[in-house]
Amino acid sequence: MRKVAVTPVRVSGAALLAIAGAMLISSVVAAVDGGGAGFDLLVSALITASIGCALFYGSTVSPTADSALAFASVAWSWVAVSVAGALPFLLTGVIPWVRFDDALFESISGFTCTGSTILSDFTSVPQGLLFFRSMIQWFGGMGLIVLAVAVLPALGIGGLELIASESPGPTADRLSLKVRDTARRLWLLYGLLTGLISVALLFAGMSIFDAVTHAFTTVATGGYSTYGDSIAHFESFLVEAVLIVGMLYCGASFSTHWHAATAGLGAYRRVSEIRWYLWMIFSAFVLLVLVNTGELDWVDNLRDSLFYAVSLGTSTGFGTSDYIAWMPSAQVALLVLMLVGGMSGSTAGGMKVLRLQVVFRYAFRELLRARHPKAIIPIRMGRTTIEEQVAAKVVGFVLLYLGLVVIGGITLAGLGVDPVTAFSGSVSALGNAGPALGEAGPTSNFLVFPRIGRVVLMSLMLFGRLEVFPAMLMLVASFRGLSQIRRRRG
Amino acid sequence: MTPRPPVRASAPALLHRLTAKVLAGSGSFIQRLCKGKLESASGVTVGAVWVLTAPVFFLCAAVDFLDGGPDYFPLLVSGVIVEIAGLVVVRFGRFPSELPISRLFVAVVSGALAALSAVTFAHLATGTSIAVDVALVEAAATITGTNATTVDAESLSLGMISFRALGQWLSAAAMIVVLVRVLPHLGVGGLDADGGVSTRSARRLAPRSGSTMARLMSVYVGLTGLFAMAYLLAGMPWMDSVIHALTTLSSGGFSTRSGSIGSFQSGAIEWVAILGMLVAGTSLPLMFRAMRRADLHRFIRSIEFRVYIGMVLVVVVAILAWSGEWPTLASTRHAIFATTSAISTTGYLSSGLGTVPFGGEALLLVLMVVGGMSASVAGGFKVMRFMVLGQYIRRELTKSIHRSAVGKIHLGRSSIGETALARIIGELFLATMILVPVVLLFAADGLGVEGAFTFAVSSLSNVGFAFGDAWPLGHLNSLGALGHLSATFLMLVGRISITPVLVAMGGIGEPTQRTIRRWRLTKRDEIVR
Repeated sequence: MRKVAVTPVRVSGAALLAIAGAMLISSVVAAVDGGGAGFDLLVSALITASIGCALFYGSTVSPTADSALAFASVAWSWVAVSVAGALPFLLTGVIPWVRFDDALFESISGFTCTGSTILSDFTSVPQGLLFFRSMIQWFGGMGLIVLAVAVLPALGIGGLELIASESPGPTADRLSLKVRDTARRLWLLYGLLTGLISVALLFAGMSIFDAVTHAFTTVATGGYSTYGDSIAHFESFLVEAVLIVGMLYCGASFSTHWHAATAGLGAYRRVSEIRWYLWMIFSAFVLLVLVNTGELDWVDNLRDSLFYAVSLGTSTGFGTSDYIAWMPSAQVALLVLMLVGGMSGSTAGGMKVLRLQVVFRYAFRELLRARHPKAIIPIRMGRTTIEEQVAAKVVGFVLLYLGLVVIGGITLAGLGVDPVTAFSGSVSALGNAGPALGEAGPTSNFLVFPRIGRVVLMSLMLFGRLEVFPAMLMLVASFRGLSQIRRRRG
Repeated sequence: MTPRPPVRASAPALLHRLTAKVLAGSGSFIQRLCKGKLESASGVTVGAVWVLTAPVFFLCAAVDFLDGGPDYFPLLVSGVIVEIAGLVVVRFGRFPSELPISRLFVAVVSGALAALSAVTFAHLATGTSIAVDVALVEAAATITGTNATTVDAESLSLGMISFRALGQWLSAAAMIVVLVRVLPHLGVGGLDADGGVSTRSARRLAPRSGSTMARLMSVYVGLTGLFAMAYLLAGMPWMDSVIHALTTLSSGGFSTRSGSIGSFQSGAIEWVAILGMLVAGTSLPLMFRAMRRADLHRFIRSIEFRVYIGMVLVVVVAILAWSGEWPTLASTRHAIFATTSAISTTGYLSSGLGTVPFGGEALLLVLMVVGGMSASVAGGFKVMRFMVLGQYIRRELTKSIHRSAVGKIHLGRSSIGETALARIIGELFLATMILVPVVLLFAADGLGVEGAFTFAVSSLSNVGFAFGDAWPLGHLNSLGALGHLSATFLMLVGRISITPVLVAMGGIGEPTQRTIRRWRLTKRDEIVR
């Protein structure tokens, strides 16, 4: 059989195979639970696996490899798994076929670790499907391509570029000389953390099912819960404490965690980004406490302020109360947290603290240059000097990111959504946070947006998870690839 | 030898000569005065601002006296005090022979603060505002050309209305000086100079900055006169015409009526205002060149002008499309009015601004941020800077694919240097950093999320109206003292640009910084030992 030499097809096939695995595990969970949906999940797994096999074994990697191809491969594979992830929602009948776009919304929100939902009645959703919903966030958190590079030697395409296209942050940190080892180590740490959080949640009083599903979505900073009222359902301080620690840990860089685990805690001290990250969340917490003083009793104030500062500062999106009832300044602070997000190299979304740092330094350098026009001032962060090229890339990213927030907000407002909901929805979707402000608060769902508006939000979620550039270049590279194929045939 | 035929001077040429003489006269008057021993650019600027502002007090006192208003005496007395204070400061000061950029920025900020204090004094003396914070924010709105106010325009005396309108007009005239002398040091936004960039719409008009300034000023004065006539012909009473011409061409926005232009309930007046606002947001050098040669093609050839008009058209079409009704002449006029009011940062309100759909609100907010063309008197970040940022993003996207690509950014036939590019980006980020804490403060001081954000953007862009619960002009009334002070700061930052303000603040705090640096170095030495 003649194989098609198109890398994006092969990578998409590998990603689909991984998702088929997730569906299979979920069908086993559904069968054990006996709440239904086991067969539908199995059918979904078979369909996805068949398509995945066809794509994977029917194609090979392109003879020429460049960054555009890596971008396109990652972006197209994310589109493929998002479509496949919608299948179980439709086959189980939780979302009817006529609302295919809503199933896609739930799937994209899951894979991108956004956590926004269109489901309102969680009691009628089978446990197996809720497990699958949490599991897709877990897969999306560390990245499917990272997983594929780690476990599939036959993928035939390696390289840091592919991982860098998927990993959050301006650069991908190598943990080993071999890219495959880097991917394996990342997934090992990720798996260990999931296990640890599951056990901690179990001890905090959750059932095994809840502990595992919430551990999946905590470590991925996704925010899907198995209950409509999210973490408020448990009414447990201990559960909240475990989740706060889990979210805070997973909102920080995984490569720094690896270095700390192998070379000692001094690794944290060497990274200036972690100081900024912790300071930002702490400042937000203090601000929220100050603003809510007099509005909430002091125990609730401390508890909710800390939970939301961490939950939105890491773009997880778990909820314990309705912050829409809080003072406007508290809501503005939460919006800023959603915009910035967690650390680079973590599973968190948002613009990333590292980029904020670079932008700060860049702006202050220009201020110094305005005073001393001939001075040569490098951009330093801690002991590291940031190269001009990296700084330019970061600045370009931030500008594009803010531009997308504005475009998304305008489009949603143009569809009749009030400006606060529209712009906060745009920030939340692009930052993969989950809840927004206005009508789309933590106790509401995203059905408040019109149908086309939800399509806009889906695109923003994908743009946000893929860190904008790969998603933008996906189309460019694809068109270029198509024209190359046409030229070859001609 | 045959005698040269007598040259018939045209009205624009006469206006230019007159403006040049007034400018040169004021300059030499100040130079003659400052013969003191204290070498200080800031001192001289403060004194000069006070000395040259005082005649405005006298003029408005005379207007109020003739109208039989109550404010002529307080205006006269405060004018005398400001004049004397100015003369004293100028007399003891001397302009330094060398002026580094940081000192220049400090002088500009000092000048703005001097104008702010004089106008605050007038507001307190006449009883227009009783509280200092309210007087400060009213003064800031006056000198920055922002249509944000806590007072009902119809309750003000004619003297005070004229004073506020003249204040807006003169501050925009002072902006022309800043455009020629200061902004070039910051890259685009002003006229071209070393390190700066410009498209054809923002080139110098003459080798000497004084001549350029005189030419631009004559365009500004001439257009103000023309629009006063146009308002009069459209059916506005003559005093209202003059005041509205002053606040239209300066993109200020103050009106004689509490309902702004909409109070006149006249389509013709609104069309004149629309044209005036468009002109206020257009580059002055571009208009000078086009008018001198009667060559309207210059506008079409300017890429920045095309984008400026294109944005207006796109937003008008979007507002009409999103309104959910079939467009009529009146709704089209209201949409164009709101769009031009936002992009030119004038802040006028028409009778139909209450019907803007949500999407339209969002677009108007974006236009406020964008602002007018570079080298215009409008506020905002300026069209050209956003065009440059767009090109920058495109270049970075290209570089993601082609790592070693060297991309030069071009706007039309002009190329943008890396230094200017970095300055534009730095300016945008610094403005955002200032904006976020102020939004938090506004939200804590009495505004809702939407009101806080839109009013902060509106203040920074010197527009005035904003959205949310207190819309269109109730935001200042909803804020407390801290909110008023923050709004004052934002308006000033928006007018002067963030970099000069921060550099000036850094200049003031330089001795402290030096001490801290020395202390840190000593500490490090001790640790090393």
